Amino acid sequence: MSASVIELSQIEKDYPGVKPLDKVDFAVQPGEIHALLGENGAGKSTLIRVMGGVTKPNSGTITYLGKPVSWQSPKAARAAGIHVIHQELALFPELSVAENILVDAQPRGMLGLISNRARHARAAEILAQLGVDIPTHAKIDELPLADQQMVEIAKALVGDVRLLILDEPTAVIAGREVDLLFENMRRLRNEGVGIVYVSHRLEEIFEIADRVTILKDGQLVGTSPVSALTREEMITKMVGRRLSQIYPPRRAAPADGPDVLSVRNLRAGPRVRDVSLNVRVGEIVGVAGMVGSGRTEVAEAIFGTRAVDSGVIEFDGKPFERKLPKGSIGHGLGFLTESRKDDGLFLGLPISANIVAPDLDAITKRGLIDRKQERAVATRQIQDFSVATPSPDVKIGNLSGGNQQKVLFSRWSRIASKLLILDEPTRGVDIGAKVEIYRIVRRLADSGVGVLMISSELPEIVGLSDRVFVMAQGHVVGEIKGDALSEEAIMDLAVRSVEDRNAGMDQHAEPVG
Amino acid sequence: MSAIAMDIRRNRLMLSYLIVAVLLVLLAVAGGFLSDRFLTWRNIGNLLQQLIVLGMVSLGQTFVVLMGGIDLAIGSLVGALTVFLANFLEWRPDLVWLALPLALIAATGVGAINGLLTVVLRVHPLIVTLGMSSIIFGGTLMYRKEPGGSVPRAFADIAYTKVGGIPISAIVLVVIFALAGLWLQRTRTGRSIYFAGGDREAARLNGLPVDRIVVLAYALSGLCAGIAAIFLTARTGVGDPRIGVALTLQSVTPVVVGGTILAGGRGGVLGTFLGVLLVTMLNSLLNFVNVSSYYQWVIQGLIILIAVGIHSSRRK
Amino acid sequence: MTPLDTPMQRSQSISIASVFERYGLVIFLVALMVVAAIASPTFLRPANLVNVLTIAAPLGMVVVGQTFVILVRGLDLSVASLMATVAVLATAFKATTNEAIPMIFIAAIALSAMVGLVNGWLVAKRNVSPFLATLAMMIILQGARFAYTGGAPISTLPPGMGFLASGRVLGIPVNLITLAFLAIAFGIVLHRSRLGREIFMVGSNPKAAFLNGVAPDRVVILCYVICSVCAGIGGLFLLGYVGTVSNWVGQGYELDSIVAAVMGGVALSGGRGNVFAALLGVAVLVVINNLVLLLGFPIEMQLIIKGIIIIGAAAFYRTRLA
Ligand SMILES: Nc1ncnc2c1ncn2[C@@H]1O[C@H](COP(=O)(O)OP(=O)(O)OP(=O)(O)O)[C@@H](O)[C@H]1O
Ligand SMILES: [Mg+2]
Repeated sequence: MSASVIELSQIEKDYPGVKPLDKVDFAVQPGEIHALLGENGAGKSTLIRVMGGVTKPNSGTITYLGKPVSWQSPKAARAAGIHVIHQELALFPELSVAENILVDAQPRGMLGLISNRARHARAAEILAQLGVDIPTHAKIDELPLADQQMVEIAKALVGDVRLLILDEPTAVIAGREVDLLFENMRRLRNEGVGIVYVSHRLEEIFEIADRVTILKDGQLVGTSPVSALTREEMITKMVGRRLSQIYPPRRAAPADGPDVLSVRNLRAGPRVRDVSLNVRVGEIVGVAGMVGSGRTEVAEAIFGTRAVDSGVIEFDGKPFERKLPKGSIGHGLGFLTESRKDDGLFLGLPISANIVAPDLDAITKRGLIDRKQERAVATRQIQDFSVATPSPDVKIGNLSGGNQQKVLFSRWSRIASKLLILDEPTRGVDIGAKVEIYRIVRRLADSGVGVLMISSELPEIVGLSDRVFVMAQGHVVGEIKGDALSEEAIMDLAVRSVEDRNAGMDQHAEPVG
Repeated sequence: MSAIAMDIRRNRLMLSYLIVAVLLVLLAVAGGFLSDRFLTWRNIGNLLQQLIVLGMVSLGQTFVVLMGGIDLAIGSLVGALTVFLANFLEWRPDLVWLALPLALIAATGVGAINGLLTVVLRVHPLIVTLGMSSIIFGGTLMYRKEPGGSVPRAFADIAYTKVGGIPISAIVLVVIFALAGLWLQRTRTGRSIYFAGGDREAARLNGLPVDRIVVLAYALSGLCAGIAAIFLTARTGVGDPRIGVALTLQSVTPVVVGGTILAGGRGGVLGTFLGVLLVTMLNSLLNFVNVSSYYQWVIQGLIILIAVGIHSSRRK
Repeated sequence: MTPLDTPMQRSQSISIASVFERYGLVIFLVALMVVAAIASPTFLRPANLVNVLTIAAPLGMVVVGQTFVILVRGLDLSVASLMATVAVLATAFKATTNEAIPMIFIAAIALSAMVGLVNGWLVAKRNVSPFLATLAMMIILQGARFAYTGGAPISTLPPGMGFLASGRVLGIPVNLITLAFLAIAFGIVLHRSRLGREIFMVGSNPKAAFLNGVAPDRVVILCYVICSVCAGIGGLFLLGYVGTVSNWVGQGYELDSIVAAVMGGVALSGGRGNVFAALLGVAVLVVINNLVLLLGFPIEMQLIIKGIIIIGAAAFYRTRLA
């Protein structure tokens, strides 16, 4: 095997109270896709930040292209040919797609001035190479999250890259976009680029990776060819125990109780054209569909944060007028939103405050917060959801992404006594935690809560849902249940209905709203 | 939806420009109605002559605000520089060619120090520049407590000379603004001001030299303060340590009225230019129609609110 | 999964870091006072200390309010102008007897609350940047005040107003009692009450706060009202201290109050801060002022030293970039 692109040896990193990296060795060969696996908080992102010059290790050495290096800044690592796609987007929401893609390589024309035309041409070229169709003039914050992620990925195709590192790039994309990403990764691999790939979706690892390194609690578990491991072995190494069953068993008899939620002919804005669906007491209902098919917007309309144009939303058999979140929460409705950082977390506040946020009433006595009770609630939730943290007083911003998600999950599942809406509930969550979350969702359902789960991960839709509605372009195009439920059936429905629709009518571009 | 409406919805900045521009026209029309001397060449010339000082400090503030900081040392710096210039030129009126570059270098240096302090000490820029303002002001007072000094005739001329009825200072201002706009929009370094202001951490992750950008923005602010001080000294003919006191906060108003947001990363110099025009024209109009200076304040405050209040409410 | 076996031990090592951040300010204050005591024997005299505290009290009141506004990502530049306006308002009663004092207080608080309401409305409902909204308010109040006084205010005040500065109850200056009362009351509101929690939530992430059932607009407006009321009360106490009404009572307090709060660790980006730490910031500020005064430095040296110490103090315990 040829010399490594990068070789890390005995890397250590300390934070107060945590040791995310403990004597880790790691090496990437040119022309290989090297998966980095581990639970939430195992230290994957920290290792990546070390390679990318974002964080300095406390000790250990880095050898890059045969020379020892010590990055002083991300700039230095980047100049040397390391491109990192970080777990959190590093985009500028107010600026155009073109400018974001070419952030440090803006093409210059006459007099050394940036040429606007060249900029857009070059950006369009890169996007075409990636295979996506995103307008280069659009501002980032006008784009759906998946497109933003594709822009982030496009940035990797700009310069001369020797080592490409992708930290959970598929957390917010699905289907075709993932295929495009993989195509490009394979192409780069064939050109000799070394690639580090992080994902919690194991099927992706088997599809794309050559070798895999597993971390656990900041320590190296081992490196081996992907082909040498089975899925079960991988999980066992990651989690440290055997997971016999991913999805909890469904209830024997299908739920036939009353509807806790019933939506009829809902129209809400440009992306929700005609939606009818229902959730029965104690039932888990999946909502599948392409990214941008209007699923999130339906959830928002139900929760009361999006204006309803027409249609009926009945909750518990009674018409549900547009309520602010406060009203919805009061009715026992919970909504785990899609964008963790923007809509969910109070990054600067402790975990406990994040957990009790929607339910201050319960811990308020005569206007004052009962701290003892708050702590008790938080501690219980932390245990229930196995959040990896020393104490509920830790700022949530210091948790790993997956653990943040678990905290949010514990927040909403606690207050949702009737209906829990989940929008991409396991995004960025490790396999062990996923299994726990699935169990908890099923437990909630068994206790009589209705669950409406939006997800782009078809395995989890199929594995967990009792019934599934498929959405496409703002319409519910079908309902699948029982034995008919399979990934193929869902894909089929979603794709076919889009084709029908496009063939059947003259589509104009919908303004993104 | 028509293309223009779409564009405006998209580009909040355009909307700010539009509103300020409309307000400008309204003010001009109102001025024309209230006094038949308001829209004369003479008065317009006067008005243009007044632009440079506020214009330059606001431009400096624009760089810093776009980059995500704030510079509250501008006023003291301008005051200190007028004292330096007037006293230096009183001593050696023949050394104008030396005094001006010295002033500009010193100003840029002070700005760079502001930037360095925020970067190295990691202290909020509000604190750094306010502390710096206090230091500069104290230092200036140590040297001269009262207004003093004088400038040679030739130097004073730069504030008053007109070319084809248009004051040179106004031409200089427009040229500088145009260059600044070009620099911000069309050079990599200029763009990096927006990147740093939009999200400093993201800028760092994208491999931009964030610290250097910060220092550069403050240095430019200092340079602008230097240019403002040159014209101010030329106009008043004396150095006055207190002359800049009010300028600090005044420098922020046109920036924000022009649509640049204080959080950084969004806005531009065209907005600031319009903002400067608006503020200057408003002051001039209020003086013209003899509104008691007390009510001038009230009206000024209201205009600021109108300019900003109309469009900002759309952002939700 | 990390087991939760040693929560106590772990949480201690984490909180030590954060506690150190907080105590950095105390350490700095103590060091400053030691320097002051060595440099000037006068410093530790009770009379001087009381004097320092008397000066500190009105600023402290303003800082309590300013903290609320900064916590919700705002800032209030109109506090100083409001202080002067309240002082002018106090003369409007042309009262020469002390019966008018309660009236003066009620009127001052009512006016302040109204000003805060407008500020908050502009910021929360009209989405005006706090800087501009309160800057405009500052100018408007200034104009209104000057227009009312015609530039030369009279100083007809009830004789009892001086009591606000020099009066004592059980030997403790009333202004300190008032400050302590305000700080504790609002400290409880902020750090113990439900409203306080909502303030932190809105400051930390307004959108998430909304999705968790909080009404961010209402919270923001309340913060501005609290800020203005604190400033109004501070204005009356400052008036008691200076004795005569001028149009510029409190000038400089807007920036001083922000500096004090930020030195006290209140983050301008919102959602992080503590009223009592902010008051420590006030203490640092007034001790610096007193020190340079006692050292007999001329005003210009005072300014220079003050500037250096402000930057140094902030750097000492690293007020992070917003
Ligand atoms: N700046 C920081 N300060 C304190 N602790 C930190 C910091 N950054 C990371 N950590 C801690 O380091 C550990 C490793 O975090 P890291 O983000 O590397 O995990 P990860 O493997 O990427 O997890 P995930 O799959 O959830 O993204 C976590 O326990 C996290 O809480
Ligand atoms: Mg990670």
